[in-house]
Amino acid sequence: MLKKIPKWNLVLLVTLISEIVIFGLINPRFWNMNVLLNSFNDFIGIAIIAFFVTFVIITGGIDISGGSIIGLTSVVAGISSQVMGLNIWLAVVLAIVVGGLCGLLNGLFIAYAKVQAMVITLGGMLLYSGIALVLVGISGASTYEGISGFSQGFINLANGKLFGILPHSVVLFIVVFIIAYILLHRTRYGRYIYLTGINQNAAEYSGIDTRKIITSTYVLSGLSAGLAGVILTSYLGSARADFGGEYLMPILTAIVLGGTLITGGKGGVVGTALACIIVGFLKLGLQMGGVQTQYIGLAIGLLLIISVAFLGIPNFKSNVSRLLGMKKSRGGNLNA
Amino acid sequence: MSKIIGFMKHREFRTVAFLIALFLIVGLVNSDFISIGNIQNSLKNSLLYIVLAVGMSFVLLTGNIDISVGGVVGLSAAVSGMIIRDGGSIILAVIAAIAIGAFIGLINGLGVTKLKISSFIMTLGMNEIVRVIQVIYTDGQWVENLPETFKKISQLSFLGINSLAIIVIAAVIVVHLYLSNSKSGRYFAAIGDNEDGSILIGIPVNKFKVLSFVISSVCASLAGLIFASQIGFISTTAGLGIEMTVIAAAVLGGVSLSGGIGSVIGASIGAIIMTSINSALVFLKVPAFWNAAISGSLLIIIVVTDVLIARRANKKAKTERLNARISNLQEEV
Repeated sequence: MLKKIPKWNLVLLVTLISEIVIFGLINPRFWNMNVLLNSFNDFIGIAIIAFFVTFVIITGGIDISGGSIIGLTSVVAGISSQVMGLNIWLAVVLAIVVGGLCGLLNGLFIAYAKVQAMVITLGGMLLYSGIALVLVGISGASTYEGISGFSQGFINLANGKLFGILPHSVVLFIVVFIIAYILLHRTRYGRYIYLTGINQNAAEYSGIDTRKIITSTYVLSGLSAGLAGVILTSYLGSARADFGGEYLMPILTAIVLGGTLITGGKGGVVGTALACIIVGFLKLGLQMGGVQTQYIGLAIGLLLIISVAFLGIPNFKSNVSRLLGMKKSRGGNLNA
Repeated sequence: MSKIIGFMKHREFRTVAFLIALFLIVGLVNSDFISIGNIQNSLKNSLLYIVLAVGMSFVLLTGNIDISVGGVVGLSAAVSGMIIRDGGSIILAVIAAIAIGAFIGLINGLGVTKLKISSFIMTLGMNEIVRVIQVIYTDGQWVENLPETFKKISQLSFLGINSLAIIVIAAVIVVHLYLSNSKSGRYFAAIGDNEDGSILIGIPVNKFKVLSFVISSVCASLAGLIFASQIGFISTTAGLGIEMTVIAAAVLGGVSLSGGIGSVIGASIGAIIMTSINSALVFLKVPAFWNAAISGSLLIIIVVTDVLIARRANKKAKTERLNARISNLQEEV
């Protein structure tokens, strides 16, 4: 049974448990179940996007536009419901669809025009956050205060609790995780994603329309960013164009720390989910331990680099020995 | 004639043509835009981005990427700004900035080459770390009250042209000549074009990769000095998000993100375009909130068109070769 679980996920699980134990010893309030469950609110947006950007990265691409799609969809939901007077739930659907369209635009250029994913999503990042600013500017709402005044039903979407115990963010985390897990690990579609990432040409020869597969992963990532935008709007009770602007780094941290290879072909959403919780609890624990918020970036940055140093290479041991000068390498490694 | 056609095929030529078209079109609407004063202003405003784009080109040429430049700009500006504010000499500040840049670049380079961390992740993490160090170092305060003598450096002019601009342009030309004509300069593009091949012909690949990161970071720290001198104060978020603009500028100027293709002159023109778009919108009386949307869509349109043009040219060349071969065969028969 234990052998079936990938080694890295086991490492992550152990890390998570030891994190809970250590932070609990420093500040016993950390063991309060409510505190832990409520902290999901802080990273639910990151987690939702990270699940589906994992798909993108497994195909060998990258999507850095997720954070700015959050801002756009938040503004779309806010303007269509508060300024144009659309029903709030229709506005939510509209916002998620807009997120999907942004992803579709990314995907079409990347898969069909074969432009580098990084360039297109970089342009997309500027474009989507730009459109969000334009929408706010045209609607006449204040950029800093945002659009507020949502109905209680919508606010409840992120702030409510299921049966009075489970915060909706935890429920959402689990639901989206299960959807992503089934899509990636239990369907033919998921296998095609891996095949595309391992060797796109081979996948193409075996009759997989890799262009469709690649486009679809970007659409999924866009849709999830749309959902995250809606959730964030509901959680904070206002719609702003700059929501999600700082999410690029946490999203990639979660994915890479979760064991997904940045070059594609290997990884999974279980690792991403565990990594999201680890980073979220790390932030919470450091805050409760009295570390100032602005210093926490240091821990996350180090975590990112160190985890990749351990992970990104198949045999870390040999690299360490080479670092220590036991085996001299001349210039480079052909098998790298 | 063939020389002219050959020149027109250069990627830089298309970028320059775009820049000139941008100035002419905006100039038609508002003639103030093509006045000497505004052109000089555009150049002055883009100096910071030119310096960053030149450094970034080195890293991009080797097939890597450097996300940490924004953080380095902030940190070096803050450190050197504090030295100058507290009465230290300007030379000391410059040395401190360069040392910071070189050190961060060295760590980036070693992480990428020795630990085999993907450059995207390595520099992304580094960016975060450097930002925190800046906050710790400045205690979360803005660095203000820089002396007038320091601020004047960016205002000096020679024969009516900003002297800093002259230095930067001269440096860009020198760097371009180094990259395109000298043996070691061509290694950077060679590594990005074919890393395995470069190893096989004996290029010290890792050494040059580390060097590219060091150059990029040193350029970023020099840009930090320019930033401090031009703006006159350094906020805790100085340089935030600048890396994406710089990468976009380099890509606009024809530097390929997959490595091996591009020139520093192209990247510099890309930087001028990125900053000119913003001022063009002001002259067109377009509200400022359109800036990001227009830069983003221009980036996508230009890059996609460029890829499509290049692919079509490749296809055409292939058919021509094939046709030539067929006609050769027919002649022989």
